[in-house]
Amino acid sequence: MINMRYSGYKGKILRVNLTNKKSSTLEVTDEFARRYLGGNGFAARYVFDMVNPRMDAFDPTNVVAMMTGPFQGINIPTAGKYYMATKSPLTNGYFDSVSGGHIGAQIKYAGYDGILIAGRADKPTYLFVEDGKVEFRSAERLWGKLTGETQEAIKEEAGDPSLCISAIGPAGENCVRYACVITEYRAAGRGGVGAVMGSKNLKAVAVRGSGSNQVADPAKFEEWINWYNAEAKKIPAIATGLPTYGTPVLVASINNMFGAMGTRNHQGEFFEGWEGISGETLKKSYWTKDTACPACPIACSKVFTVKEGKWKGAVSEGPEYETVYAFGSMCGISDSGALIKTDSLCDEWGLDTISYGVMVAFMTECYQRGLITKENTEGVEFNFGNDDVLVNYVERTAKRIGIGDLMAEGSLRAARVIGGDSERFAIQVKGLEVPGHSARALRGMALGYSTATRGGSHHDPRPTGEYAGASDRKAIDGKAAWVIGTQQMTTIGDSLVQCHFLERLLGFTLTQKYVDMINPVTGFGYTFNELVDIAERILDLERAFNVMTGIRRKDDTLPRRFLEEPIPEGPSKGMHTDEPTLNRMLDEFYGIKGWDKRTGIPTREKLVRMGLEDVATVLESL
Amino acid sequence: MTQEKKPLIRFDVQKCAFCKICELSCSKYHYGKYGDALSRITIVRKSPLMLRSLICTRCDKRFCIPACPTKALSYKGGNIVVDEKLCNSCGDCVKACPFHGIRLHPETKMPLICDLCDGDPSCVKACPKSALTLVWLPEGGK
Repeated sequence: MINMRYSGYKGKILRVNLTNKKSSTLEVTDEFARRYLGGNGFAARYVFDMVNPRMDAFDPTNVVAMMTGPFQGINIPTAGKYYMATKSPLTNGYFDSVSGGHIGAQIKYAGYDGILIAGRADKPTYLFVEDGKVEFRSAERLWGKLTGETQEAIKEEAGDPSLCISAIGPAGENCVRYACVITEYRAAGRGGVGAVMGSKNLKAVAVRGSGSNQVADPAKFEEWINWYNAEAKKIPAIATGLPTYGTPVLVASINNMFGAMGTRNHQGEFFEGWEGISGETLKKSYWTKDTACPACPIACSKVFTVKEGKWKGAVSEGPEYETVYAFGSMCGISDSGALIKTDSLCDEWGLDTISYGVMVAFMTECYQRGLITKENTEGVEFNFGNDDVLVNYVERTAKRIGIGDLMAEGSLRAARVIGGDSERFAIQVKGLEVPGHSARALRGMALGYSTATRGGSHHDPRPTGEYAGASDRKAIDGKAAWVIGTQQMTTIGDSLVQCHFLERLLGFTLTQKYVDMINPVTGFGYTFNELVDIAERILDLERAFNVMTGIRRKDDTLPRRFLEEPIPEGPSKGMHTDEPTLNRMLDEFYGIKGWDKRTGIPTREKLVRMGLEDVATVLESL
Repeated sequence: MTQEKKPLIRFDVQKCAFCKICELSCSKYHYGKYGDALSRITIVRKSPLMLRSLICTRCDKRFCIPACPTKALSYKGGNIVVDEKLCNSCGDCVKACPFHGIRLHPETKMPLICDLCDGDPSCVKACPKSALTLVWLPEGGK
């Protein structure tokens, strides 16, 4: 056992090589923990050090990082999560995806701060990790199975109904570029981490630990918990909105108040059929029960059941708001039943719901414009509002059947095959399909998506502060500083591996309140400036990795549709961020970041200030 | 004549959100640290709608007591009490309990059995969904 000065850490990382079935451990020093915090920070450093950015994401040398932060396995609200990172087959850049699930705590209890997986197994394999031991078990009889069946089969084999498992579905096995990883019923959804697992012949990771985790200062921690309990009650979103309706509570306000809900592949941003897919409708007609991520009192996850109609019998945990947008307004579908059915299918087959829904919307617009025809789609009519397409193409995409093979490539790659003018309306940034927070109605999201490590992700920049009015959603000046603040906040959240839903309580950008939460748990005694530097260090490392894949300022942009076509109707009619405006904000952004304005590459001066001199040297050798 | 009563931590499957805060608060109360292997209550989920709580039910038969070869278990004040001097960590009580209400401490190997936290169960207090309640049932009744 490694003794660390700081709490919340086990002091070691499990390293696994699937090619030669060998494992070893990597020490986490006090200094490393203090500099990189956990989850996002640890993985950004490991991936930068271990993965060749120019290598294909499906090359065996790519690494899948499964990480925890100091908060896993203790009773802290909204930290019942785990963190995955890899070089993405969708964006080709550094990519991370955070998911709810009890496996994060189990990794800690098993004695590790994380697991790094490299190589490629010669046959389908799953990892069984228990209290410092790792076994490479055969997954041959699990190959081809859905994520639910897979988890049940592994639990049965282990004789442990509580065993925690993260698994891929057939989509991951077939390297669908936006295949997800499912733990219980939650998804590490985005960027194709599941596809990288599939390329490694890795079906699942099961973890069980009999250890524990503890905090540095129990009295101060209890004080913080009491503060949380008192203050959280005063925030309507945390106290009632999310517990009652879950994230679909956003539908009514984003659609009706802001007119910012991408509709029919963003040909509009107001969906006239919103009532059928609103949080209120889901609660009234489909809600069956609340579920929660571990240790979370909010319980924003909802189990929905379709009780009548065409999709009767479908049950799913979710859809979440983003899925309602991707399957609903984006595909022109106002029947929640179809959304619930497709949500459960995506979880089972292992597809990211956001990318899949936006992909269907993109193909539908291509069909509408005659860029693809019935000849390409085996006679199926890809029309907006056709819920059979949405439901049926989950399996066809996961198995890469017919046009599903092209849909498995993501909208950017598909647009390059389809041609015409289709790339203009492929709703993606850096290859990642954009979620349900408008880049046209929210100025911060225009700059945020453009500059995010992952591209079209709502968990790099955050939209919440602009909805809440904490930052004027139309403002241009000063927006760069705001966006940088939100990106710093999410980076710290992803390093603690904690949900961003406490942002209304702790701050939309980094604040002293985050410091006050971290110090009692870890004993770091951070100052606010130290925490900001950690976030910047991690973001610069991610950027450096992306720079080495070829990313430059020219790639920090939006789909042409967003730059050139204002929102045609609704409360945000006429809004968008055109290219000159984006460039103005980018200049300001790079200036504050200390990135070169011409290239978008972090300067040596900035990297040295972040203690990343080695990274500066690597970048200069390009 | 007053009838003897026994405690039960009642589980409401509809209310439980599977956050497992009960397990964390149990281990925190007894050991000052967090870990589900140290918890005397375990929530198991088979599907989003199928959940079970595994905890000592103070069942009428008390299968664990006669199963113990060293007579380390007894029933006192509504709890199964372990005499740690007599216990040899054989695990026969774990096997005997049809409710899966007993496990062994991962390090000391002593049986972990719900003791109601001195009458004010921390799991009940901590549950954010009020899915756990402490009730007193008549002995031998349903």
